[in-house]
Amino acid sequence: MLIEIDKLKLVLRGRQILAGVNMHMQRGEICGLLGPNGAGKSTTLSVLTGLREATSGSVLVLGMDARSQREEIHRQIGVLPEQAGFYDWMSAPDYLRWFASLYGRRLTAADTGQHLARVGLDVKNNEPIGTYSRGMRQRLGLARALLNSPKLLVLDEPTNGLDPRGRREIHDVLLGLSQQGDVGILLCTHLLDDVDRLCNRIGILHQGKTIVEGNLAELLATLQAGRRYRLHLLSPPRDAALPPGVRLIAKRGEWWHLDIGAVASPDAVWRALLDRGWVIAEIHAEGGGLEDLYLKLTMTEVAA
Amino acid sequence: MSPISLIARKESGELLKSGRGLAWLLALSVILSVLSLLLVSNTELSLLDNAQVVYMVMGTITALGALLAVVLGSDAIAGEKERGSLVPLLLAPLSTSDIVLGKMGGQVVAWGVTYLLSLPYLWAVGSSGQNLFEAIAYLALLGMPVVLGFGFYALGLSARFGSVRAALITALITLMLLASPLLLGPGLRQSAIGKVFDAVNPFSAAVNSFDSVVIDSQPLSMQLGRFLVTLIWLVMTLWFARRSVKIAEI
Amino acid sequence: MKGITLCLGACLLLIGSGAAWAAERLEITLVADKTNPPSPQMGDHMKFVSVIRNNSTVAAQGVVAWISLIQMDPGHEQPLDLEDWSAHKAVTRTSMAPGEQITVEWPMRLIQAGDYRVVISAVERSTPHIVTSPFIDFHIKRKPVVESQRILPIAIGVPLILGMLTLWRIRKRA
Repeated sequence: MLIEIDKLKLVLRGRQILAGVNMHMQRGEICGLLGPNGAGKSTTLSVLTGLREATSGSVLVLGMDARSQREEIHRQIGVLPEQAGFYDWMSAPDYLRWFASLYGRRLTAADTGQHLARVGLDVKNNEPIGTYSRGMRQRLGLARALLNSPKLLVLDEPTNGLDPRGRREIHDVLLGLSQQGDVGILLCTHLLDDVDRLCNRIGILHQGKTIVEGNLAELLATLQAGRRYRLHLLSPPRDAALPPGVRLIAKRGEWWHLDIGAVASPDAVWRALLDRGWVIAEIHAEGGGLEDLYLKLTMTEVAA
Repeated sequence: MSPISLIARKESGELLKSGRGLAWLLALSVILSVLSLLLVSNTELSLLDNAQVVYMVMGTITALGALLAVVLGSDAIAGEKERGSLVPLLLAPLSTSDIVLGKMGGQVVAWGVTYLLSLPYLWAVGSSGQNLFEAIAYLALLGMPVVLGFGFYALGLSARFGSVRAALITALITLMLLASPLLLGPGLRQSAIGKVFDAVNPFSAAVNSFDSVVIDSQPLSMQLGRFLVTLIWLVMTLWFARRSVKIAEI
Repeated sequence: MKGITLCLGACLLLIGSGAAWAAERLEITLVADKTNPPSPQMGDHMKFVSVIRNNSTVAAQGVVAWISLIQMDPGHEQPLDLEDWSAHKAVTRTSMAPGEQITVEWPMRLIQAGDYRVVISAVERSTPHIVTSPFIDFHIKRKPVVESQRILPIAIGVPLILGMLTLWRIRKRA
């Protein structure tokens, strides 16, 4: 088990910030941590990474206590905090080399080039980080988190500041890592598209408590929440038959409204459609599915 | 290399390689240059005046060193926090103690650079006068604990306040307070309160020692009490910095 | 009447001669030491030697002798505080026997350039005025204590080098 959080509570300056968080994650999983602003997501991450001490409850990371064994945990995890801060006067390769040395690693120029290329950062060696755009800094933050080949990757809003292509590139990196089977990824985000595309497990926080946690597909199936998309086709499909589990809701001109169900991953469905000759120009997620699930659960909590 | 050395090396790099750090050193050198050039135009100096000039340059170097230490110290924790670079550091396999000691190492290097930068000036104004070697030695011996003490004090404030501005203002006010007796002159320092303040003030201890050694040619044995005051200052501020980092939620 | 006048005159004579006799009780000589530099300049050390002798037949009580230094440059005449010139400013003797003499050395470090006069003064308890030695005048040459050939290259060179370094760093960044 990579993460085991049970009944985590945190009181800060007399205020109950976390009132019962539960989270469990295995190797190879990508877990999304969702919740409205102020739900306690970032605070949970700070307890998980040992920056804060829990008031009560159990927090184990890689089988170790998050607070008392945090130095050892830090050796084995990579974290991208929400605010990715650097030393603006350094260049990216210098920064990565210096940061790697904190882990006892020595990076050659080729190593740093590889790390930067992996996250899509193409920078001249002597450019100081202070000249980077927000998206570039975010990529550099991800490169930093991957420096020590972590067993657990904790990402707080990793696609912040990235354009759609950039977001897709980061998704591909994360999916690639996950497919290796060794790494677990905990994704803290409010972007449901990211969770939809990447995560096979989610936890939803509301007012400092976990309101649901589990396998995404199972949760969607249990709550009978499908996932709806509208596709813009350039020409009528050669084979209009849909893959199993996918259902056509409506067709308006060149727009096809589909429900891909709870189980299939969107990528797999689009690949299958492309194989059938569908010429897809645009794909838009629509209400239903994860968004429905999220809204349903958080509004239920509010009502309660 | 140990984590402490790695962080100290980074801090030194920021002073010596970044535009901001180099600009600070440039400003320091300009101030010392202006002071030295003022002397070139004065051809009526006696030997005593020359000793006083060396004493004045030593006091200026100590004050500038303390000012730089206060600026660096105020930024050490709060500045990293504000720029978002502290959290990644806390998430690396380092203890908080490693980080703080590394920052202190950076302060030592900053004073070392200031001291080395000032040596040519001391030589230029003092080589024809008296007690130049003593001036160089005492600037190191007493200047270091005073300057580092201010740096550690500012670092502690930086951790407690979590704001560079608040830490810097508080540290500068303290620096001005401790330097104020020197602005008042010897007459006003003869009162009971003035004497007590002079006796416990590390800045006064250093500068009065410079006076005694360079101008009055007194030996080391007569400076031991003042040296002790500067050491106590250093130890107290070191404790304050470490304690502040421990209790602050950085 | 005549007798009273004569008596008064004799008394006055006695008092006068007694005063004259008391003024010569102490005698002070002053010479420059042979090892003094012939052409002294600022920073040099000089020494003056004086001999204080009790010339009278009566012991001199509570003798105090001190050195005075006067600046003689026209327009700048003033007595100087010997604080930084010399730590040895005075000698005292509880009593000097008749015929006794003491030799005193007066070392000093030459702090400032100019023309100076040094004199030794002494008093003892029963003499109502100061006794002085002859003066010694001497000139201290100026020594340049602030050498512009040293200061200018440093004062201009160090900021210049740092400025160029800063510019290069900024250019590298751009």
